[in-house]
Amino acid sequence: MTTQEDTDLTEDQRDALQEIANIGMGQAGSSIAKIWGEFVSLSVPRIAHVERCAIPAMLTRLVGDGTVNAVRQAFHGQLRGEVVVAFSGGRGDQLAELMGYDDADSVEEQELLLDVANILVGACLGSVAETLTVDIGFSAPSVMGLDIAPSKLIRPDELMTGRALFLEVRFALEKKSFTSHLIILMPCDEVFVLGSALDKFLTSL
Amino acid sequence: MPDTVPADLLGFIVERIEVGIFAVDRDYRVVLWNRFMATRSQRSAAEVVGRNLFESFPELPRKWLERKIDSVFVLKNYAFTSWEQRPFLFRFHHNRPITGGVDAMRQNCTFLPQKNGNGEVELVCVTVADFTDTAMFQGRLNESIAQLEIEKHGQQVLIEKLENAQNQLMQSEKLAAIGQLAAGVAHEINNPIGFVTSNFGTLKTYAGHLLAIIDAYEGGTASSLEQARHDADLDFLREDLPILIKESQEGLGRVTKIVQDLKDYSRVNDAGRQLADLNAGMESTLNVVWNELKYKAEVVRDLSDIPPVDCIPAQINQVFTNLLINAAQAIPERGKISIRSWLDGDMVCVEVEDTGLGMAEEVRRRIFEPFFTTKPVGKGTGLGLSISYDIVVKKHGGRLEVTSELGKGSCFRICLPREFKGATDPDVRSGL
Repeated sequence: MTTQEDTDLTEDQRDALQEIANIGMGQAGSSIAKIWGEFVSLSVPRIAHVERCAIPAMLTRLVGDGTVNAVRQAFHGQLRGEVVVAFSGGRGDQLAELMGYDDADSVEEQELLLDVANILVGACLGSVAETLTVDIGFSAPSVMGLDIAPSKLIRPDELMTGRALFLEVRFALEKKSFTSHLIILMPCDEVFVLGSALDKFLTSL
Repeated sequence: MPDTVPADLLGFIVERIEVGIFAVDRDYRVVLWNRFMATRSQRSAAEVVGRNLFESFPELPRKWLERKIDSVFVLKNYAFTSWEQRPFLFRFHHNRPITGGVDAMRQNCTFLPQKNGNGEVELVCVTVADFTDTAMFQGRLNESIAQLEIEKHGQQVLIEKLENAQNQLMQSEKLAAIGQLAAGVAHEINNPIGFVTSNFGTLKTYAGHLLAIIDAYEGGTASSLEQARHDADLDFLREDLPILIKESQEGLGRVTKIVQDLKDYSRVNDAGRQLADLNAGMESTLNVVWNELKYKAEVVRDLSDIPPVDCIPAQINQVFTNLLINAAQAIPERGKISIRSWLDGDMVCVEVEDTGLGMAEEVRRRIFEPFFTTKPVGKGTGLGLSISYDIVVKKHGGRLEVTSELGKGSCFRICLPREFKGATDPDVRSGL
């Protein structure tokens, strides 16, 4: 975590986002449980403002220093940003069954990652957007990297923003060995829009 | 916004857009089937609408697609398929009936939830976009990349082969030089061994005479003693004996020295980079190649006090050898070889100048080229200076310069940085 900047969320806004994210993840968990018929455990979302050069280290700290398969997906509309879903630990074939694959080869495994990421992202962000009554849409997810170190996922010099809002949630399926990290990244100028939406939500209570 | 758009326009767009659009309800019953879907599947809306999607298209991956559609209903969220992972949802003809290239249309599909007033998803609307062109382009790109990778690998193999060939050439050049030197060194050793052996013959005779005198002292008569002294030519022996011993010692000293120089020259035991005194390296090299020089030239040394240089001494000595032998071979009858050393800033320089034939400009320009030689067949490999250049410039980051005047002689100058900082611009070759 770094120093406070003008574009950062205020403490009230952050508390509100934390609360909304908690509720959103809970709803997401129950939706996912409904379609997969499996109990999902979710961590408490972690929120931070990060300088772009600190992002690789942050990813390693959150996801671990093993290798991951990662998918990115963009969201757009009243809020804009990107989500990175990093899959670590566990084998794809356990999920393949849940997603209705007969048996997954390597290409199908990629599609499986995309499908799972899409569901996680849609459920989590969808819930948050619904609570904030903002309208967002999603682009198709794409594979970011297979079997790579979390710190290599995002190259700071390629980032379009100097500072980003980081929201991280850890997903696990209790009966399967499957863990994934969902990391929502929003550029600093979008954080202002999120702040306004949060203010609107707070006054409507 | 849709409220402001005339319904017939919306209907027209949905029907005629060049994107497949269809919608299904909770029971996978088709409620919309646009013209794109109808023409590509060759099933009209009348045939498909109202029926279960999987009854109309039993070839669809039912279990997977049902889950996908279910997730859109439950999560009220988009879902996607991409041609890269799943080439197509429906097996449609592609848009290249003539030019061909792929078996079926590549498709990107988006599943959209259509919500009612209560926020419940009533229908899942699916768009099917034709990505055949993109897929084919990507395919060609991947083929090109794979081809480039193969070529890159081929070049790598070639480079390794060239490096091996170069190493072998350098090795053979070194062996040729050693062969040439060995003859000279053998001569240098043979000479003292020869006279020491001869001296020992004389010493053996002298020892016999001396023992006879001692025998005469111990048991003989005065006359037999006088005879023994006379036989021994004791006065001459007294004078000659110390000379013989001193000469022999010097001879053995020369052998010892040349063996030591050979060791210093080759530094077999420590081939790595180290701080070395170039003057000392030049001295031992001079001794090793002495046989090649002594009949051709007077060697004049003008060696300054120079600091040690970070270098590979065995390689630098190889360069000195090349320059000294070239200098001697450039002198037709008898001449002078001047050797100078000095410190120039942070460079240590050594120069070998001869009063030989010198070189014309067109020869001078080519002397560092591999296999270029002006010597008769069998005399030189044409690699000596090329290797010297490689050692000085590429391996030591130094400079190897030459000045020459036809008929007057040549001067080769090596300048090495005191501290190795990596190789310099190889274009130094063309300088001077």
